[in-house]
Amino acid sequence: MDYHNRIHRLGRISATIALLLIVSVPILISIRFNIFPPLGNLALGVATIWMLQFPVAIAEVLTYSPMMGSGASYLAFVTGNLSNLKVPCAFMAMDHVGVKPSSPQGDIISTVSVAVSSIVTIIVIVIGVLLIRPLTPLLESPALAPAFANILPALFGALGAYWGMKHWKLAVVPLTIVIVIYSLVDVNPAVLIPVCGLLSVLAARWMYNRGWVDADKEEAA
Amino acid sequence: MKYLDIANSSFIFQIGAVVIGFVLFQSVFFLIRAWREGLNIGLTREQMMAAVKSSAIFTIVPSLPILISLIAMAPVLGLAFPWIRLSVIGSAPYELMAAEIGAQSMGVDGLGGTGFAAEVFSNSVWVMTLGMIWSLLICIFFLRTLEGRVKQARKKDSTWMTVMITALYFGMLTVFIGQPIVAGGVALATTASSAAIMLFITWVMHRFKQKWLGNFAMAVSMVGAMALAILFTNTF
Repeated sequence: MDYHNRIHRLGRISATIALLLIVSVPILISIRFNIFPPLGNLALGVATIWMLQFPVAIAEVLTYSPMMGSGASYLAFVTGNLSNLKVPCAFMAMDHVGVKPSSPQGDIISTVSVAVSSIVTIIVIVIGVLLIRPLTPLLESPALAPAFANILPALFGALGAYWGMKHWKLAVVPLTIVIVIYSLVDVNPAVLIPVCGLLSVLAARWMYNRGWVDADKEEAA
Repeated sequence: MKYLDIANSSFIFQIGAVVIGFVLFQSVFFLIRAWREGLNIGLTREQMMAAVKSSAIFTIVPSLPILISLIAMAPVLGLAFPWIRLSVIGSAPYELMAAEIGAQSMGVDGLGGTGFAAEVFSNSVWVMTLGMIWSLLICIFFLRTLEGRVKQARKKDSTWMTVMITALYFGMLTVFIGQPIVAGGVALATTASSAAIMLFITWVMHRFKQKWLGNFAMAVSMVGAMALAILFTNTF
């Protein structure tokens, strides 16, 4: 069986097992401690979340899986934190190695990247849990609080600079749209990402048809 | 039984160890398979090690917010269950929201509100878990078909595919860059500092031909900007 078919088989099987294990957690907790939430309340809570999560899930799979390739996707959707960790991580790795997303090499590097990222995150969290007592005053210290409160701006500032240097033309339209939208309303990023992605693609297509952007552009020196 | 005793019980930690152990195993398995295939299709060991190094270093700092969320959730949900949730599927903001919804749907004010008892804990546990199943389900059933379509489109025009994927990626990036820009203040200053440090390091890399800096550019930019965030907050 070739790699492509194997990865899908592996992905489906492992994702299914992962999902079953994840769902078994509340089941086992309820049985062991005999604490079952009333069905009506549970249904209400779950329905509330599904209203947002279902379309978001569709959008996420459509948006991120072409970027990362299937192998990485099966892994990434099990461990989560895609937009703020896995996807940028995979893109950086592919760029570092010099391969393009959605190519056979790109898919491999992306899978390697997401796998390593998942492993490192798990290790970091386990260390964190084990060291929770000494770590808590450090992570909650008011002196350091602004640093931890601004991790995401720090991450995306650096990413923006890095990728903007290479493809600033593709950044202009989505960035303008985002700034305009956020100036007017407060939107859940999970909803805005696919919308912005779509508009970004439309703008890119317009520029591509005019020869303003090309896949093999030189990097800015 | 006080619900926090349940929430912090070794039983849940044990379940967690099994779930997270499997995810670890899955990651290692995919890594090995991808590595072998990589060598097969002509990637070199050096290239793949470069990907490993880059990803490992990149991941460390952005993993810290997960720890912080863990500490935030632990007083109400115990340490064990947030540990599991934050290691799989959802992200911190989602998990907190789901936990709140779980509490509210039981008529409690929210996490930590009065009346947050064992049943409410159980409800939050169920809601947080069931809420996030869709992305995995969609992958399991539709990813192969989706990939088929993507590959077809790529055959027709692979240059456009590369541009399109980059455009999609920017769609994602700009959402997170736009937020601090609009929010202004320390967030904006941090974003700008991080960008500036990154630009500076890139300039140094090219001017003085120090390619090795590339691996650390992200981490240095992030940590530098985070440190500056403390400075900005105290100064203004």
